[in-house]
Amino acid sequence: MIIGIKDAVKLIGISIIACCAVFVCTLFLSYNIDIAALKGEITTEVGMAMYQAQVSTGKVVATVSGGCLAVTSVIMLLFYVKNYIDTHGKELGILKALGYSDFKIAKHFWVFGLSVFVGCALGYVLAFLYLPSFYELQNAEHLFPEIKVQFHPLLAFLLVGVPAISFAALAVIYACLRLKTPVLDLLKEKYEYKAKVSKKETKDMPFLKELTRSTVRGRKSLVFFIAFSAFCFSAMVQMSMSMKDLSSETMAVMIMTIGLVLAFVTLFLSLSSVVKGNTKTIAMMRVFGYKHSDCSKAVLGGYRPFSYIGFAIGTIYQYALLKIMVTIVFADVGNIPEYNFDFTACAVTLGLFVLTYEIAMYGYSHRIKKLPIKSIMLE
Amino acid sequence: MIAISDVTKSYGTGGSKNQVLKGISLQIGDGDFTVILGASGSGKSTFLNVISGLERPDSGSIVYGTSDITKLSDGELTQFRKDNIGFIFQQYYLLPNMTVEKNVRMGADLAGNREYREIITAVGLEDKSKKYPSELSGGEQQRVSVARALAKKPKVLFLDEPTGALDEQTGRQVLDYICKLHKEYGFTIVMVTHNQNIAEMATTVVKMNSGKISEIYANGIQKTAYEIGW
Repeated sequence: MIIGIKDAVKLIGISIIACCAVFVCTLFLSYNIDIAALKGEITTEVGMAMYQAQVSTGKVVATVSGGCLAVTSVIMLLFYVKNYIDTHGKELGILKALGYSDFKIAKHFWVFGLSVFVGCALGYVLAFLYLPSFYELQNAEHLFPEIKVQFHPLLAFLLVGVPAISFAALAVIYACLRLKTPVLDLLKEKYEYKAKVSKKETKDMPFLKELTRSTVRGRKSLVFFIAFSAFCFSAMVQMSMSMKDLSSETMAVMIMTIGLVLAFVTLFLSLSSVVKGNTKTIAMMRVFGYKHSDCSKAVLGGYRPFSYIGFAIGTIYQYALLKIMVTIVFADVGNIPEYNFDFTACAVTLGLFVLTYEIAMYGYSHRIKKLPIKSIMLE
Repeated sequence: MIAISDVTKSYGTGGSKNQVLKGISLQIGDGDFTVILGASGSGKSTFLNVISGLERPDSGSIVYGTSDITKLSDGELTQFRKDNIGFIFQQYYLLPNMTVEKNVRMGADLAGNREYREIITAVGLEDKSKKYPSELSGGEQQRVSVARALAKKPKVLFLDEPTGALDEQTGRQVLDYICKLHKEYGFTIVMVTHNQNIAEMATTVVKMNSGKISEIYANGIQKTAYEIGW
């Protein structure tokens, strides 16, 4: 069969996101379960207020981070399945022409669930190893009795087994739906661009502008990923810088690390997909005499506004989240300083983001320059 | 005038080195219709890639007027192709996410050609300008490819087996369009083909065999696309 383990390996982005999601959820949910068992032993008022605040925090963080990353993983999985079918239309079309049913082909897409399993399992193991330190961190003021790390099989199954099975099933179902394309359309790789001439298109738009627009429009999921990447960078870096008075340094470093890993992985995977998906277009433009800077600008430039929108949303998100935590969740806990928007952190993060993003763009622009002009003829 | 002198080109290294072009020299006059004829593996497509500036030769010179393109940097070569060269390939290589009109504008914008719609009309596709390549037949796609190449007003048009993927009727139609536009615009044509019949349309025929030119001759009478055999 044409879909194998090596194809699942290419979904490393999903593995990393799943790893981060499960790592965070395991930390907070395990803590919540273990501390709940000690609730009766908390005797002080401050301890009880802290208990309530930490349990609420755990629920919020697990829901927001887990939910957000799960949605991202789902979108990324669907993107990969669609991309796989788009780029292997001829092979899949031949299988269909030979008499293989849609489901018979689609069921092999279960291997994509392996990437989720690997990510989740790794996230769970890493979190479990980190749990003792995390528990100490959470109970630094010794407001609770000693909290012992317990293994919760049901939690492990819910965080590792269920996502892997769900994603494998989702990949098969989505592939089955995508494979409903007629055989000839698959063979001619025709399904990708159905007639959709918009009113805007009738305008006298120059080729390069139109190329920028159609590149963005042709792969809308990449717009989401690039915006998401900027969102992660913005939210997590600002949050870790802003919460230095609210939480421990370890927590800040953890949040920043997860944010940067997610941001870089998503950005690089997205930009690689953009360049790979436009290799033939770029090669043809170079054949005709377009400068490599024109090619780079047309192919990569369209995503820039979305990355800055992602940054802005990330800024608002982290501010709202911290404000809610301070004013609502931790309202009953003493010694919590007032939280205001950190303009310095925002400016520094924006500066770092612009620098990082433009370096990445320059790197990919260089990659475009290196694309062999003959790649158009190597089909 | 294109003056090609002692051009060689090899692929691979060491024991697996394969010399594809073995010291080719040729002159192509302005406005000529030259066909490079040869069997598969004769080196004709490599020769076309080299003289059009898509690939660099290992040695030799390729002089357009007074400019030797083998001495140009990558940036200068890009500029040279922009100013002088048009391409039509067997597999069309249209941009699938662009309409006919936008594909033609890809060439037209390079030359600042605002009258590109006239060329779309000239190849008989004015009523399909808002269609995507996937909605066109093979012949129509190749006509878009012709229009795209000519919209940049090239001085030299290179064609690599332009009818190779077309049936007889469509192939003749595409060749007829190219010939009409050649007469109208006066550019130089260099066409690679393995079809001996198509060679009867050319002013000059260059036969290649095993990386060398085996024969060059001029056609006294040029046949039209509908007069040649297929």
